[in-house]
Amino acid sequence: MIFVAVGTQFPFNRLIEYMDSWAAEHQQEVIAQISDGDYTPKNMKWDRFLDGEQYNQNISEASVFVSHAGMGNIISAREQQTPIIVMNRQFKLGEHRNDHQADGLKWMGKLDGVFTASTQEELNEQLHNIIGSNFSETVCSTTTVGNENLTNYIADFINE
Amino acid sequence: MATKNYPKKRKVLAIASPGGHWIQLNKICNPLEDRFDMVYVTPGAGYATAAKNSRRVLTITDASADSKHKLIPLAFQLLLIFIKERPTAIISTGAAPGAIAFLIAKALPIKTIWVDSIANVSQISRSGRMVKKHADKVITQWQPLSDGENIIYKGSIL
Repeated sequence: MIFVAVGTQFPFNRLIEYMDSWAAEHQQEVIAQISDGDYTPKNMKWDRFLDGEQYNQNISEASVFVSHAGMGNIISAREQQTPIIVMNRQFKLGEHRNDHQADGLKWMGKLDGVFTASTQEELNEQLHNIIGSNFSETVCSTTTVGNENLTNYIADFINE
Repeated sequence: MATKNYPKKRKVLAIASPGGHWIQLNKICNPLEDRFDMVYVTPGAGYATAAKNSRRVLTITDASADSKHKLIPLAFQLLLIFIKERPTAIISTGAAPGAIAFLIAKALPIKTIWVDSIANVSQISRSGRMVKKHADKVITQWQPLSDGENIIYKGSIL
């Protein structure tokens, strides 16, 4: 199963449309969380929002997680060892308040198990590459999320 | 439960918007729970159920820099929370609700710690720039954004 999610703050019709047309051409179950988007998928199961438990279960069960370039989904994907493809929202298309998701792509792609796409072609290519490999078996190692230095620095300052 | 035999843990409010800000806040603050009495504050009502039962999560009005008319009721809610909870410190990863909280806390004896979102890699976030001069600590998760003095780098959550 491929899980697609665009977060809760804004719609991201473009990504949903790209994935809907991908789903039309491939024999793969695709489930999408589409937020308030006005494009409703024809070839994927979809919900506007999911509760946290269902959301995490979908990420865990997915062979590939396709997401907006949101931090939360990257952390969840890394925790669940699911490969993730992130596509950035674009400010000029009215998809976000700024272009920080485009900035995000520059470093997100450096993380293990995180792949990036800015266009429909890149998205299709990444899907093709990941599905064609035994990626999830080999590359997604367990990652330590958290940083003791940062936590201790904050704790010490509060106790000062 | 704090009793006479144990010193009472200091209370710390952790404030963030839903989504990535909230997840980062949890990554930073959940490890602080054995040292402080942590209270989480967020506009995402749905997150309260996702949090562990032992975790206190207060819900506030959702507001962003694009919905300025909601900022006033939000400010009153935050002020009431501060009066009731009397926190020693506030931690926020953003965005607008955290920034508003910091501006109010400035007038109160509350330490403020801003941890800028890891998503902001080329410059400090808009809300981070808003609180930069008012926060007691501003922390970036990207070394190049640190000036070693006012903007501190101590690693990132990833």
